[in-house]
Amino acid sequence: MMAWSTAAPAISAAFLASLVEVVEAFTIVLAVATLRGWRPAALGTTTGLVVLAAIVLLLGPLLDRVPISSLQLTIGILLLLFGMGWLRKASLRAAGVIPLHDEEAIFAAEAAELSETARSRQRNLGWAAGITALKAVLLEGLEVVFIVIAVGAGRGLLIPAGLGALAACAVVLAAGAIVHRPLSRVPENTLKFGVGVMLSAFGVFWTGEGLGIDWPGQDLALLLFATLFLGAGLLASIFARKLAVEFA
Amino acid sequence: MKTMLRDLGAELIGMFVAEKWLAIAVLLTVAAAGSLVDFAGLNPLVGGAVLLFGCLILLIESVCRAAKAGAS
Repeated sequence: MMAWSTAAPAISAAFLASLVEVVEAFTIVLAVATLRGWRPAALGTTTGLVVLAAIVLLLGPLLDRVPISSLQLTIGILLLLFGMGWLRKASLRAAGVIPLHDEEAIFAAEAAELSETARSRQRNLGWAAGITALKAVLLEGLEVVFIVIAVGAGRGLLIPAGLGALAACAVVLAAGAIVHRPLSRVPENTLKFGVGVMLSAFGVFWTGEGLGIDWPGQDLALLLFATLFLGAGLLASIFARKLAVEFA
Repeated sequence: MKTMLRDLGAELIGMFVAEKWLAIAVLLTVAAAGSLVDFAGLNPLVGGAVLLFGCLILLIESVCRAAKAGAS
């Protein structure tokens, strides 16, 4: 029986994190499609998705062979590193210490790079455009795969977490098909902040379980951890803003 | 192909090591919590508290350090 107190954070973490990553990949694929047409963009995207599927098919069965406590400990530590990294960056962005992620700027940079390639290597441009799309899908997709495995594998929630990620892909593709431009209005830093909070909370939870700690309240402890990480992230952001002014 | 593999490797490392000292400190905190649970004979929840509050403090410290340094 699925515990919704665990399933809901796992699904929403997979959905929100995937939303951020898919928006980033979509921006680059859109830049490729705008400059070189949909053929190399679609080809690169499809190849990237096939490679990702192969990685999932290879890694998936291996997960069943790992003892659950080792799996929880390994995934917990990786989640802590990954989630706290996101939360750190989101706190610094919220404090104005580092600039916000700008999809319009990324789109322009990718377009400029492809135009430059067009001038220097006219014949191989279709190939270069396809590789650019493939790299974007593969690099961002790897993060999605990790998040789905990380939030899903510890409690047999791989399918719900995978569905959360697929829902994010569908939302981004639908929005992209409607607006036909980079999705710059997605509140990316807020999403990253929220996902960083959730992944860090999962990280502490799984790491603790892997170490043999029985958390009071079982799955409900996740909510307490998330609240504490949210508070710490906001506090860090306030301190960072003051320090940035002080040390400027 | 070589560039793509290099980028993939860099992306994989970058996923987990956003900042070197934060990553090292998190690993040391996990090791300390594990030692308390396995070897010190204390209530496992003491290890849990070290893990949880250690990570919260490390997060705040890392953000403040980056802000002082003018971002990273």
